[in-house]
Amino acid sequence: MKGISINPTTTFIWVCMLPVLIFLIVVAVAPTTVAIIDSLENLSLTSHMARGQFVGLNNFRKLIGSDPKFYTALWHTALFVVLVVPVEFVAGLTLALALNRDFNGKRLVLTVVMIPTVIAPVVVSLVWLLLLVPTFGVLTQLMNTVGLFRDTGVFSDPTTAFGALVLIDIWEWTPFIMLIMLAGLSAMPQAPIEAATLDGATRWQILMHVQLPLLRPLIIIALLLRTIDASKVFDTIYVLTGGGPGDSTEVLSTFAFRTNFMNWNLGYGAAVCLLIAFASLVIAAAFYKIVTTTQARAAT
Amino acid sequence: MNRIARYLYALPIALAFLMAILPYLWILLASFKRYDDLFSRPILWFFHPTLNAYVQLYDKGFERFLLNSVIVSSASTLLCLSIGTLAAYCFSRYKIPAGEHLFFYILATRLGPPIAYALPMYLIFDKLGLANSHIGLILAHATFNLVLVVWMMKAFFDDVPREVEEAAALDGCGPFRVLFQITLPMCYGGLVSVAIFVLIFSWNELLFALILTSNENRTLTAMLPTLIGHPRGLWPQVAAAAIIQSVPVLVFIFFVQKHLVRGLTFGAVKG
Repeated sequence: MKGISINPTTTFIWVCMLPVLIFLIVVAVAPTTVAIIDSLENLSLTSHMARGQFVGLNNFRKLIGSDPKFYTALWHTALFVVLVVPVEFVAGLTLALALNRDFNGKRLVLTVVMIPTVIAPVVVSLVWLLLLVPTFGVLTQLMNTVGLFRDTGVFSDPTTAFGALVLIDIWEWTPFIMLIMLAGLSAMPQAPIEAATLDGATRWQILMHVQLPLLRPLIIIALLLRTIDASKVFDTIYVLTGGGPGDSTEVLSTFAFRTNFMNWNLGYGAAVCLLIAFASLVIAAAFYKIVTTTQARAAT
Repeated sequence: MNRIARYLYALPIALAFLMAILPYLWILLASFKRYDDLFSRPILWFFHPTLNAYVQLYDKGFERFLLNSVIVSSASTLLCLSIGTLAAYCFSRYKIPAGEHLFFYILATRLGPPIAYALPMYLIFDKLGLANSHIGLILAHATFNLVLVVWMMKAFFDDVPREVEEAAALDGCGPFRVLFQITLPMCYGGLVSVAIFVLIFSWNELLFALILTSNENRTLTAMLPTLIGHPRGLWPQVAAAAIIQSVPVLVFIFFVQKHLVRGLTFGAVKG
């Protein structure tokens, strides 16, 4: 009679992986299933007419076909990403090039420069709110002396509100890019740079033809991460403008939040969330592919 | 020429340094000002410092929200560190069937917009009666940070030479003893820094906290925005609360500076 042989390695793998699997089923698979079911219903907590009858794909049809608010939020999100990412990249790279040398107190300088990135986005919002409060904010007073924002607050005009959010994001995340670029620059082999210098290349030529090509994998990762995160921006907008004035700073995250947790349109909101999740899954797949191939290349 | 070049480098550094620290110093000052001193023009740089704002926060029961944040962030750190480390070890040492897909799925939970995961969680926790409890938020934060633990710990495990484990196995150690008595102690520094990152990310998180908790169960970050809606403007309190929330972060970050790049990119970039 043959007994059932239990390979100790297999047991070990199962014991190690089972907690993660159970965890993911509870917190990811089950909720997604619930969301998919809800997205096919007209569930709303504020309307007595909508008690979760099955409506098929109507929610998705309405969302993609005829919801101007969705497209406004989409447009604002795209504009936000296009405005912040390039500026953050150029500023972060410049800063990293300047910091890529040894000097006294470098550790302290790095810690301070990283403050905007590591403190909570909520705190970032509160800091800027206090700087820009019409009644006593230090920046408002500075701008008042040159004649700006004398009668209106920064966040009460659609254009300046959006602009301020863009600038705050740049303030918050430039150090993040700086950090990644600095990691790349300090790990870079010095031989090609020295060779180029001997051949009489200028600093600019070295940057464009030696350093940047060597930084390429890290640049791709940094830009991808920032693009993904900027398209999810929520905290600062929620605290500072709540999407307003009007819908001038409404982005996808605040739109989804409003639909679900302010208007309590849970069926429609589930459709919004699933659509966003699907789009980001595609981007995440691209990210995964790029990171694993660059890491594999770095390893060889 | 050389001296000019040196100042040229110092310029962006000085600019970034000041831009990073001045706004933060401004709210630090504001948190010690009396309410009326805030409004004086020109700006009052020298004033009688007062702890009023901090005392008022305490009178309001602010420590309740502080405690909530401590509970949620430490419990979620513990949870996601224990399950994530085990998985990371398997990913590092064995070929897992469908491991690629699982690895990617874990990543997707972090790259996707939190709102898209928060709503389904809210729906299911609501059905289970876990909405507005710490448990829901702890699970949510553990999910969000799982990728950081798995990716970073895998990288640390990869750095441990296999020969060490093989030698231990030859001496008759089973896989559990190899992991817990040989490999894990060798990655201790990495484990601690991963824990600090998870702690900070959970401590700083807003969206899940807003959706999954309310009233007296709110965490600090979810409670902070409620301070600014006040008609008379509780500005010194807003500043004080922001300081209380962010000082622990700055202290902890100082300790994990070495791993900052890895932590902030959840292991995608090696520092």
